[in-house]
Amino acid sequence: MASTSCWRCLARPSQRLLLAPVSITASVPTSAAFSTSAQQLSRVADTSGSKHNRAGKRLVLGRKKRSPDKTRPPLPGERKAFRKRIQLSNDNALEVTGLEVLSAENAVSPDSVGKVFGLPTPDVVDQLRACEAFKSSQNWNLFRSPHLLVRKETVDLAKQMTDAIEKKETLRLVVTGGRGSGKSILGLQALATGFLNKWVVINIPEGQELTTASTEYASIPNSEFFSQPVYAVKLMQAIYQTNQSVLSQHKVMLDHMHLPISVTRNMTLAGLLNATKEPDFAWPVFQSFWKELLLPGRPPVLFSLDGLAHIMRVSEYRSPAFELIHSHDLALVRMFADALGGKTVFPNGAAILGITSKGNAPIIASMEKAIAQAAAAQKGEEVPARDPFFRKYDEKVFDSLRGVKVLDVQGVSKTEARALMEYWAASGILRSRIDEKHVGEKWTMAGGGVVAEMERVAFHDLRAV
Amino acid sequence: MVSILGANFNERKLVKKALESFYGLGPQASARIMAKYTIHPTARLGTIPAKTVTALTAELSNMTIENDARRIVHENIQRLRDIGTYRGRRHAMGLPVRGQRTRNQIQTARKLNHLERGGTGSRF
Repeated sequence: MASTSCWRCLARPSQRLLLAPVSITASVPTSAAFSTSAQQLSRVADTSGSKHNRAGKRLVLGRKKRSPDKTRPPLPGERKAFRKRIQLSNDNALEVTGLEVLSAENAVSPDSVGKVFGLPTPDVVDQLRACEAFKSSQNWNLFRSPHLLVRKETVDLAKQMTDAIEKKETLRLVVTGGRGSGKSILGLQALATGFLNKWVVINIPEGQELTTASTEYASIPNSEFFSQPVYAVKLMQAIYQTNQSVLSQHKVMLDHMHLPISVTRNMTLAGLLNATKEPDFAWPVFQSFWKELLLPGRPPVLFSLDGLAHIMRVSEYRSPAFELIHSHDLALVRMFADALGGKTVFPNGAAILGITSKGNAPIIASMEKAIAQAAAAQKGEEVPARDPFFRKYDEKVFDSLRGVKVLDVQGVSKTEARALMEYWAASGILRSRIDEKHVGEKWTMAGGGVVAEMERVAFHDLRAV
Repeated sequence: MVSILGANFNERKLVKKALESFYGLGPQASARIMAKYTIHPTARLGTIPAKTVTALTAELSNMTIENDARRIVHENIQRLRDIGTYRGRRHAMGLPVRGQRTRNQIQTARKLNHLERGGTGSRF
């Protein structure tokens, strides 16, 4: 370490106090042949006894102190919760008055096409939130309360579902379409229709949660399938919260002797769902709930899954023999795949929706081919044949998509686009006149009314300010 | 705290990381052990049931890991040394064994090439 005293000074620090005053004061007048300003300055600055201490700024190395971070680090899971939070209202947005509220009737009415509807608060909004129909990637936080544009496809889908369920048939449908065209929102509208019609709504919000090996799994004894107990508990709780009013009107009708919990005949289906939170018992209980639901006289079922491509491939789980498990060997996924493929019989009517995703989806050749075949069959065109030189077609995928209907979602029409932009303007986030020219411009910029792109081009000016 | 084969781990620790902290147990073996007990790759020690933890301990106690694995490595190097081979001498001197030049950059050899490769002490 550098000494604070001058290295030329040979006096000991203890002696310096005694030596210093004598020598300097005496020598100032005699040595006046050259400039004395430095000495005079030092005399002014030097008020202490020591003359050999250097004044002024000195270079100090190696003493950089990092002040410790005073803030508390986020707890485990806190960052993810912040990232995934769903904010459904914004007090800074203007309230849009004069809009109707979505109901079971106007969801299927052709007059509703091209209008913006509010979601019934708080019940349906709470139900949709509990079954994770809202996604953090959707801009719900820009508006005062959640509203939806009812488009041609929405009414079409709602009508197909209600017609099938009235006839006690099963609608098996896959929603496809370009990226950002509103497939997940269409799924949300279908779920809302289900809640408004008092169907039993089961929603798997992300197919990839089941197949990317990020939740617990266990082999089911005496079968080649695997259960996902922790996810099953979560799903059962979601079904319980969202469908409690419907399920509490129906009592258990079968004997469930094999279950590890005691189930009596005066237990309701809601009670059965809520009977256990123990992951070990979850899958058998869920299975018996499913059996009960498929008895005649039960309410209709709406079973929906978003991110279909993820459940159409080999999962990232490994069996005890260290082989990769096909997604359809996971029992819950199998349950959905059987329902979508028409292997499960729903005596009370059902709607099974598989919603594809384009933003986050693996490319599954079998699924693309199966959907193309289903779409061609629906239009009455010639069914495209499989590529004879492609080896990796997956029969399980073709089985699960056999005979499904396909709903192709593309851009909205110009009238729908106008309704949407008027709603944005009324909410105060789009500050421009909404006329035909402006709407047409944004509609074209968005590749023919692709909703996510329209949002981007419309709010682009806003962001630039 | 969760104890596997006498070593204590935090409950937040990934099972994969805990298994791979044992000498002689790498990614391949840990993936196989976890698949055998149907533990998913991102599972943490706190989430797996107690009976799986004891099963893991039983599984590990039958494997050649830790001091058994170290001893094998030591014996191999000692054998080379005892029969007076070049490789044995280079190991003993802490120099590169496989003909690398030694003009500069032999840190890895200095770090690893000893008769007691992999350390002597147990982790416990």
